[in-house]
Amino acid sequence: MIRNALVEATEEMASALRRSAYSTNIKTRHDFSCAIFDLQMRTVAQSFSQPNHLGSLVETIPRALRSYGIENLGEGDGILVNLPYTGGVHLNDITLISPVYYKGDPVGYVASLAHHVDVGGGAPASIGAFREIFQEGIVIPPVKLVSGGEINRDVFDLVLAQVRAKRETAGDFRAQIASNNTGKRRLTALLDRMGLETVVRYTDELIEYTDRRTKAELAKLPLGVFADEGVMDSDGYSDEPVRLKVEVTIDEEGAFFDFSGSDEQRHAPVNSTYAQTHSGVAFVLKCLIDPDVPVNAGFYRNVRMLAPEGTVVNCTAPFPVVGGWETQLRLTEVIFKALAQAIPDRVPAGTEGMICHSGFGGFDPYRGETYCFLETIAGGFGGRATKDGPDAVQPHGKNTANAPIEETELNYPVRITRYELVEDSEGPGKHRGGLGLRRDYLFPDHEASFTILADRERWGPHGLFGGLPGERAHYVLNPDGEARELGSKVTVQLEEGDVVSYRTCGGGGYGPPGKRDPQDVLRDVRDGRVSLERARDIYGVVVDVARWSVDWEETERVRSGSTERGQ
Amino acid sequence: MLGDQYRLGVDVGGTFTDAILLNEATGEVLTGKVPTTPSDPSNGFLNVVNRMLDEGAKAEGVRYVVHGTTVATNAIIEGNLARTAFVTTDGFRDLLEIQTGIRPRLYDLQFEKVKPLVPRYLSFGVPERLDFRGEVLVELDEEAVRKVAEVLRGEGVESVAVCLLHSYLNPAHEERIGEILTEELPTVLISLSSDVAPEFREYFRASTTVINAAIRPVVSEYLGKITERVRGSGVSGELLVMQSSGGVLTFEAAMDRPVFMVESGPAAGVIAASELGKSLGYEDVISFDMGGTTAKVGLVEDGTPRVTKDYQVGGTASTTEHGSRGSGYPIRTPVIDLVEIGAGGGSIAWIDSGGILRVGPQSAGADPGPVCYGRGGEEPTITDANLVLGRISAEYFLGGEIGLDAVAAQGAIEERCARPLGMSVEEVALGIVEIANNAMVGALRRVSVQRGYDPREFLLVAFGGAGPVHANRLAAELGMARVLVPVSPGTTSAMGLLVTDIKHDYSVAFIRRIDEVDLTSVEEQFAGMDSEGRQALAREGVGSGEMRFVRQADVRYVGQSYELTISLPDGLMGVAEIADVLDRFHAEHERAYGFMAEDEPAEFVALRLSAIGEISKSRVREIGKGVGGSERAVKGRREVYFAERGGFVDCRVYDRYELRSEDVVDGPAILEEVDSTVVVHPGWGGEVDGFGNVWLGLG
Repeated sequence: MIRNALVEATEEMASALRRSAYSTNIKTRHDFSCAIFDLQMRTVAQSFSQPNHLGSLVETIPRALRSYGIENLGEGDGILVNLPYTGGVHLNDITLISPVYYKGDPVGYVASLAHHVDVGGGAPASIGAFREIFQEGIVIPPVKLVSGGEINRDVFDLVLAQVRAKRETAGDFRAQIASNNTGKRRLTALLDRMGLETVVRYTDELIEYTDRRTKAELAKLPLGVFADEGVMDSDGYSDEPVRLKVEVTIDEEGAFFDFSGSDEQRHAPVNSTYAQTHSGVAFVLKCLIDPDVPVNAGFYRNVRMLAPEGTVVNCTAPFPVVGGWETQLRLTEVIFKALAQAIPDRVPAGTEGMICHSGFGGFDPYRGETYCFLETIAGGFGGRATKDGPDAVQPHGKNTANAPIEETELNYPVRITRYELVEDSEGPGKHRGGLGLRRDYLFPDHEASFTILADRERWGPHGLFGGLPGERAHYVLNPDGEARELGSKVTVQLEEGDVVSYRTCGGGGYGPPGKRDPQDVLRDVRDGRVSLERARDIYGVVVDVARWSVDWEETERVRSGSTERGQ
Repeated sequence: MLGDQYRLGVDVGGTFTDAILLNEATGEVLTGKVPTTPSDPSNGFLNVVNRMLDEGAKAEGVRYVVHGTTVATNAIIEGNLARTAFVTTDGFRDLLEIQTGIRPRLYDLQFEKVKPLVPRYLSFGVPERLDFRGEVLVELDEEAVRKVAEVLRGEGVESVAVCLLHSYLNPAHEERIGEILTEELPTVLISLSSDVAPEFREYFRASTTVINAAIRPVVSEYLGKITERVRGSGVSGELLVMQSSGGVLTFEAAMDRPVFMVESGPAAGVIAASELGKSLGYEDVISFDMGGTTAKVGLVEDGTPRVTKDYQVGGTASTTEHGSRGSGYPIRTPVIDLVEIGAGGGSIAWIDSGGILRVGPQSAGADPGPVCYGRGGEEPTITDANLVLGRISAEYFLGGEIGLDAVAAQGAIEERCARPLGMSVEEVALGIVEIANNAMVGALRRVSVQRGYDPREFLLVAFGGAGPVHANRLAAELGMARVLVPVSPGTTSAMGLLVTDIKHDYSVAFIRRIDEVDLTSVEEQFAGMDSEGRQALAREGVGSGEMRFVRQADVRYVGQSYELTISLPDGLMGVAEIADVLDRFHAEHERAYGFMAEDEPAEFVALRLSAIGEISKSRVREIGKGVGGSERAVKGRREVYFAERGGFVDCRVYDRYELRSEDVVDGPAILEEVDSTVVVHPGWGGEVDGFGNVWLGLG
């Protein structure tokens, strides 16, 4: 009962935040999380919209509170923090932590983390190929934003002075305050109903219960050591790929993740913080156990990892952190790839595996104010043991909804001219990967600054067990004119009338494409997902277009003759 | 009975087709139940209508028939849909494939997106484009539309959905496409998004329009058949169908816009609770309807059920809750805001891998049903737990139609739950009931607290077979002072069909800052919808004296993207009225989200008008006072387990049919009738009113 009440309280916090927020990123794309902590700063309950935030709040809250000094906090206070290296993530994710008092005594904390669309720095939306943290925007150590229930104007004004989208940011801060107030109200109501002592006792039990269930679930995994590695395209400054290494040990104590051997940190947007990496591991664990197991300190106890300091999976000051989510999301891909050896029927082939940021801004000629916009673009999911990967989804740790075109055009001076699946982008397989997505942005009447922070331009998502990789991504300037490839990590100054075109990668295939059911290939061809030529050349399936049927005889002939692929 | 006038409600459910007949003069109610005939539900419909006619009503006396149906929902769930095509702006043919981009279940690596109702090869982009103000950037390429028509002809398409970008601001291109397609394909049905759901956010508008198009032939055929058969039995009264937002539509209107009746069934229960509350002087009501597989909760404020526009149909969970995003097909037509959870009499109790007792969402349903039914069910359910606790009777379940096997129920709880947990059977049975109660308290909180309402200010109306068994405990938990249990709770929901008004909902997108708005243009928009509504009602035979028009607007702070619906006064608004609208918006924002920003500008997003044709509320049958006290109705005693008393307590069992006006019952007590049981907890009491309703309150 207490579990439900606590989780509901965080959901109510989330709904207050989402519905009263100003930025599209929060209100429509749900880029935020809320949680409740007990007096010992253990996570008690958490709301779920962004898996990526799973492991960051658990790291941020205790460290921020200790560094600020709990003794310096009182009823009605709220501290703001986005410091990346001590448990934080990238600068846009700003957390507000409020102590909860009951009958005059502190009983715990509520926290809300929201991705703010802009925190200043060298490019609109604070997304760019930066060299060090100081170019990325305002760094906020734990400071009091709310004091005795009132907004601290000095801090509020100082922060707002650094950012581009002032109205949105101010509104989003107010929404975070409202969210924390909702959490406080709900906790107080719960204590009124059940009594402090009962709640504390059952919270302890809830944490132990969660630990028990997590361990019981992990014990079902096959024992062994499973290693793999993967690379990202480049870092935006050199063509040197970024190498990520993973070794997963599953033994009697559960699962342990060792990332030793991953590349050293760089002065480029490819560094994940400890908390980001921790989130990735937490996400993987969560996928491996019964989804019904609650998330609290009892679960986090089982998130065990080694991420050597000074590497791209645990960077130190003053290395930039803006690309951290890209690295972290790819890291989860590599973990799943390693685990394919252990549990081949449960993990997908390579998915889009990147956040794929699209950030832009400039001076809005209609509203006469500076604006900025950020979104992430979906891509193909990997094929699975028994079914295809879905087209155009936000995989793994990212789960932000796409911004409706009509809403985007109404609020920002941009026109979306194309939004469709990328045909023939799937990784072929017995169960094929999903298709990537194309989204074209036209800036008809002003000069915008546009940042692409993404990946997968050199290598598409991996296939599994004979499946082929998904097609790689493309980032193209003026696709109907000069058609220049821009690269996956870059900020460009656009001219009036320029178009930036994203074409994300397809998911990897699972199993040999030569084993794909010809009827499934026929359906893909009929639907225009896969071309006639590709069906024949890669899947070995010949489609009779006049009748929309499989030409079985020809198919048989092509498939028995084909040796190079799919066998 | 000659010359009496009737209204007839028919609700076709998954298992049974229920009818309810109301004599308008006497308030007498007759109910009937026949098995649903899934292969052709109009058979069951006709069977139950004939039964009602056999039992006394004259066909010519039936003034109107109101139908609650899941035909639209079932068509979607079962994929029984028309061959449908989708036409949109060039460059955007994959709107239905891409959807929102998010996953329904975050940690499920085997997830699937919902399958679009139109295959990709029947989705077409045609060159044309409007900007965000509705102004034409690219003219419509009519030749391209004719080429699409040619393909559709070859593919044998029956129904087409048209949704162009920004068409909610300017329907001209959509209307022209409609004309061309009708010219080229005269038998094909065309649904335009600017007509069905003229609201912004393209995927949601497209999805609503596609659902409308895909179910239109199925629904039209179904309603056509019913019309034919009902007319065949001599009933000439008006035929109406319940829509998702409450209110009814004529069959003709429903055939054009079937998406408005997607949740036709569940709405009736909330309407019933709302009308019942109103008739007894309670405008703020929470309805609690618990049946065999689920419990449904809805909220009524100021006599009006809360309506949502954030709804998904055909997904894994038909709820409006945060967690179900991406799990179904969104629709943007108004739907009564219900929270439905998997807690019904048949919900199964089990032990999870951490050794904790859980209840639901798996249900034993009606077949095999709970263990105590003796029909092969092996897993203990909420009904089994209630039986073990003595809360329901082994002998008088459904009036004795089914004898319940208490020993089997006990055995199953013992074996499956009590032994593994090392607890007594009674403790576990109580645990099962309390866990279910807790889930239902959660649902009640979601419709109230989470929407900013204090449940203590509401009356709880409990019905459905299992509702009155649990309601007392829920009210106590939430601090609600009073619970109303209507007469014959099993038929309350169907009663909702007979007390609802005719209603047409209209809306126009209207994005303007309130401090800069031209008030005459607001009035023009409303006048347009008003006259449309007036004509529709007049066509349906509603006299102008029975017409009522309700104006509302969706309002938000400039820059937000979630709106609050605020009611507006009739007629041309002036400065004072606008100030009042703003005040109410700020207050509503404070209530819903815990803060207001009075310095921030607010804007209209949409204007809404409901055209209502009021249906006369009939007389309710009154019961007289009885002789002596309530002891007269005591039909026995039994041991009932109450946690408050730490064990079994000897309780009086009352025959509810023998209770009369002003009778008072002290808890703990049990009140039995054929279709339900009222459990009165210790410390609480019940009082019977002049209509036979039981009011529970702290004794």
